[in-house]
Amino acid sequence: MSEMIRLSIFRFDPERDDKPFMQSYEVPVTKRGMKLLDALNYIKWELDGTLTYRRSCGEGVCGSDGLNINGVNGLACITPVTGLKQPVHVRPLPGMHVIRDLVVDMDHFFDQYRQIQPWMQTDTPTPEHERLQSPEERALLDGQYECILCACCTTSCPSWWWNGDRFLGPAVLLQANRWIVDSRDEATGRRLDQLEDAFRLYRCHQIMNCMEACPKELNPTAAIDSIKRKLLARKS
Amino acid sequence: MIASLAHRVSGLVLVLFVPLYLWLLHGMTGSPEDFDRVQAWMHAPLGKLSLWLVGVALIYHFANGLRFLSLDAGWCESRAMMRLSARIALGIALLAAVLLVILL
Repeated sequence: MSEMIRLSIFRFDPERDDKPFMQSYEVPVTKRGMKLLDALNYIKWELDGTLTYRRSCGEGVCGSDGLNINGVNGLACITPVTGLKQPVHVRPLPGMHVIRDLVVDMDHFFDQYRQIQPWMQTDTPTPEHERLQSPEERALLDGQYECILCACCTTSCPSWWWNGDRFLGPAVLLQANRWIVDSRDEATGRRLDQLEDAFRLYRCHQIMNCMEACPKELNPTAAIDSIKRKLLARKS
Repeated sequence: MIASLAHRVSGLVLVLFVPLYLWLLHGMTGSPEDFDRVQAWMHAPLGKLSLWLVGVALIYHFANGLRFLSLDAGWCESRAMMRLSARIALGIALLAAVLLVILL
């Protein structure tokens, strides 16, 4: 008999349940390097078809399956099941409205993303060829552009739990910095104007949960500090 | 997370110590008898515990405050350095806690 993994999974169907509850499952280790998403798929396909969760690419690129795994946010598809303390407690991302089981409402998160206007903005006429960037200017985007918007960092941030209505949160601020440091973007002033706010930016108190949670090993705290320094430099 | 929580807690301890500090100052500058009374309280277990607690809080808040300032300035911003500096700040506070037990 193959090795079994014990899981305790958050279940909530607002149409049927009064309250959320944790449900236990046992899943066999089906392959070497098995990931938590494989275990969830096994439950869905073999044990209990009512379990609901988001997934898409299955390899840490799409950012769909951000979950709270044993109290730490991460992507189920790149989290190996071996090494996790059992039973593995799987919950939806914290501080979010639960639609059903592990699926949370991401509307507010993506609305905040839209607020920073995450596209290149230019005032100068479009050149005949592409807008060029030196290798050094391109290197500034490293550690910024890799964000997949899985919301693991934002939903682990206590400041965002308390002031999520106005504080943009680490993921969105990392993305804001991605456009601020882009040498081709010409809206830096407007972007900084928008961020210069006690709530939108300055609710970050360097708790650094975002850095710990990021499955892509990025550093939103450093990006936020970089924006703060840009604002300071603009004043002096 | 722990480093950040400890920073808030130590800050709270320092703020709450202000009335106690004023009471001590008031006591010590009143009369010779008051001075002796306050001196005796500070050498009693409760007084020693208060001084130890505020001492540890001060050292930690100072060390982690320097860490936050360095991050604000853009130093030690890599993920590894953020983690290492948190451990160093906590380590300094632990060392201070042990030293204060010996010294007080």
